[in-house]
Amino acid sequence: MLPNTATRVQAKTAEPINVEIDHVTAGSFARRAVARPEDIDDGIRQLEQEWDIERTLQANFAIVNLIGIALGAFVDRRWYLFSAAATGFMVQHALQGWCPPVPIFRRLKYRTASEINHERFALKALRGDFDDIGTSGSQGNPNRGQQALRAAQRA
Amino acid sequence: MVASTVRRVPEHTSPAVNARLQSEAEARLAYYAVHPHEIEQRLRELDAEWDVERAIETEAASTILLGLGLGWAVDRRWFLLPVFASAMLLLHNLNGAYPLLSLFRRLGLRTQGEIAAERYALKALRGDFERVRKGGQAGESRLWEAFEAARPHAP
Repeated sequence: MLPNTATRVQAKTAEPINVEIDHVTAGSFARRAVARPEDIDDGIRQLEQEWDIERTLQANFAIVNLIGIALGAFVDRRWYLFSAAATGFMVQHALQGWCPPVPIFRRLKYRTASEINHERFALKALRGDFDDIGTSGSQGNPNRGQQALRAAQRA
Repeated sequence: MVASTVRRVPEHTSPAVNARLQSEAEARLAYYAVHPHEIEQRLRELDAEWDVERAIETEAASTILLGLGLGWAVDRRWFLLPVFASAMLLLHNLNGAYPLLSLFRRLGLRTQGEIAAERYALKALRGDFERVRKGGQAGESRLWEAFEAARPHAP
């Protein structure tokens, strides 16, 4: 059984580090939340730009792999094995959520998309994006669905 | 130019496919607006959903391994395949474009950003953010109410 996409990196991170990252998220959220309203908008946009651990690992992998192949071609053929090992770990990461750089990047506080979204959507809620959705009086109205999606998608 | 983590894939998807993914999400939200007791099950499905990054990582790594194997065992010109695949992965990483992106998008693979929009729209429908509404409690407690309400995954 393959682990869930959204939670697989957290599941493979030591729990104290997950907790530490949660504190980082809480601190960052608190700083952004007390800003002026227009600065909250900026904070939400910055969070959309933030490099999550998936993107960081991908860049790291592509570069390491290109270097390995270049060294294999020009220095020593055995470097190809280095690329092959890195690629094997990339498959492992895609499927299981773990590869050797994961513990390093997690200790450097690279967050998963879910952890970044936690902060981003908490700010959106605070901004009042969902204020018109939660009214229990309007439950059962299918238009609420579209309204909720639009609210969630608002930048 | 380095593209936004959240937007880089939709920006390189044809408008027709983006519109289709959007209308499918709207139809689901309309359904869950009138079937709120099924929302929890749907949130679990969203956690498991394969996103486009996981698909690209699996595909790119497989292509690279294949090229390395053929380059090692058959003809060294095959090493151009992993070079090309790694370069494309780096292109995708920085800019968002990818040779197989339109195929993956047509197959319905979404980004974590798109999945998160559906997740938080469902959470709003469920009433997760009701206590965060403006005009209710003010100050610090509303802030932490928002932070807790925005937790992306059930423990």
